Amino acid sequence: MRSLTQQPFRAAVLVLVWGWLLFLVLTPNLLVVGASVMTRDPGSFISLPLTLDAYRQLLDPLYLEVFLHSLYMAAMTTLVCLLIGYPFAWALSKVGKRNQVLLIFLLIVPFWTNSLVRTYALKLILATNGLLNNGLMSLGVIDGPMQLLYTEGAVIIGLVYLLLPFMILPLYSVFEDLREDYLRASHDLGAGRLSTFIHVIVPLTLPGVLAGIMLVLLPAMGLFFVPDILGGSRNLLVGNVIKNQFLDARNWPFGAAASILLTLAMAFLMFAHRLSKRRIGEDGV
Amino acid sequence: MKKLALAGLLAVGLTGCSGSEEPKVLNLYNWSEYMPQEVLDRFTEETGIQVVYTTYDSNEAMYARLKLLDESAAYDLAVPSTYYVSKMRQEDLLMPIDRSKIEGFDNLDPELVNLDIDPENQYSVPYLWGTTGLAVDTADVEGEVTAWADLWDERFEGRVMLTNDMREVFHVGLRVLGYSGNSTDPQEIEEAYEKLTELMPSVRTFNSDAPRMPYLEGETDVGMIWNGEAVMGRDTLDSLEYVYPEEGIIAWLDSFVIPKNAKNPEAAHQFISFVLQPEISALISEEIGYATPNLAARDLLDDAVANDRASYPNATDMINAEFQTDIGDEALQVYAKYWEMLKSGQ
Repeated sequence: MRSLTQQPFRAAVLVLVWGWLLFLVLTPNLLVVGASVMTRDPGSFISLPLTLDAYRQLLDPLYLEVFLHSLYMAAMTTLVCLLIGYPFAWALSKVGKRNQVLLIFLLIVPFWTNSLVRTYALKLILATNGLLNNGLMSLGVIDGPMQLLYTEGAVIIGLVYLLLPFMILPLYSVFEDLREDYLRASHDLGAGRLSTFIHVIVPLTLPGVLAGIMLVLLPAMGLFFVPDILGGSRNLLVGNVIKNQFLDARNWPFGAAASILLTLAMAFLMFAHRLSKRRIGEDGV
Repeated sequence: MKKLALAGLLAVGLTGCSGSEEPKVLNLYNWSEYMPQEVLDRFTEETGIQVVYTTYDSNEAMYARLKLLDESAAYDLAVPSTYYVSKMRQEDLLMPIDRSKIEGFDNLDPELVNLDIDPENQYSVPYLWGTTGLAVDTADVEGEVTAWADLWDERFEGRVMLTNDMREVFHVGLRVLGYSGNSTDPQEIEEAYEKLTELMPSVRTFNSDAPRMPYLEGETDVGMIWNGEAVMGRDTLDSLEYVYPEEGIIAWLDSFVIPKNAKNPEAAHQFISFVLQPEISALISEEIGYATPNLAARDLLDDAVANDRASYPNATDMINAEFQTDIGDEALQVYAKYWEMLKSGQ
């Protein structure tokens, strides 16, 4: 009886999942790959013959530099997220269950507002006559307004603000699984606090750290509206290059190729993550 | 993750308001802050047609969207600038405008119709025209600023704003060197790029969304601005001045066009006629500060507006002025490459 009622449900779920993957994941990605090997066409955006020109263009030192600068800003974002997120997640796993639910809820609440709107709000805070400068000036901390908006720093602040939860949540889940008896065992065996941290806590939370890095680093290179709004359309990310190629320069093959570069970078990170996870698995237990 | 991706999509504006299936909807695709809400409300009141208003901040974005959404007929009316009218006309993206359904066309300035971009105005009806010139916040800037070349002055380091418009920024670079702002010569474009790189350390931000804002926010003191934005900005910031640079101002004319697959061309024609009424044209010009090509409306303008040199330049202001023209795809690629180099700061 049970299997009879379950079977259609299972089929429906499978169709839904596979349909979703096929039409909304595989097809668009194939289209992007397809576009990247076509020839640029001013009239209809892309046309035959097939060519690797777009990938050759990626090797142009100009775009290499944009990519490196973008990587640098994304890496800084990830580092700041890690520095804030790690102790945050640790503390989160230590507070009582009821507070935990509340704190995680508060962490999620900003997502109810569109990130574009939140970025504009950040602009009001960072502006020369914005909240932060006015506040600090009235407290007498600074004499004149600091130039915060339209700088590299503003872009990184914006990216950290948007992406921090993606660092905290995977870290929180590994800290949740961190067993007290390991720490006690380490202590009983004569390790100090620092030594326990380095030899026990860090290795055990490493998968969470890597997952957090993956969730922050790559998206940070794609959020083009953050440099547009907070960076004064300077300090470009790879996402800006992709957007400009599609909308302004109308070079779709190149935009698609740049997008694939990001996808490959992501795949590489996931691969590294898997490898490290396996190694930790072998050494750890 | 999905949420962020979604937000990203929203940022490009792929929301594509296709509207409801009811015929009583006009999908208007226009520049941001380029039509007073009052005009839309009055149009709806008079005709019962709801206006779905979507905006863009560059011709390039508008063109890409129209071209992509051609089949889905997402828009009934758009407002491309000068050279994009000829480009879209030649690429067969536009529907001819039925002049018998347009009232008030004769009110338009004879100098602004039957231009090369659309010789018989078969596809376009002028909406507003304007200029891109210098903005100076006189409260923070000492001494005169009279030319584009003044932006290169060291005292403005970190205080300059440029529009986020490839053609306009290069126009400035080219004019400072004495070339045409519509140059297609790769050599000249490269020289303009070299010249502009010297300006980059001074540039605080690029903005084509609302170019007056960085001046009002106190982030920049001098730079480029559209004349209407300067007029609107002056309401809040008295010291904001609009200057016609010696090398010549950048001029443009924005026109209504009906995309080929428009779902409701009838409403589009109605809307054009509605705007061509002298009273409505005058209201628009007074409200958003750009010049109306509607001569009958010029007579109705408030004296303060009609005599405002920022909105209505006199003959000497327009010396050396240059209208933007279509430079063709090849030159566009050259510009695009240098533009990216410029903005990535090399």
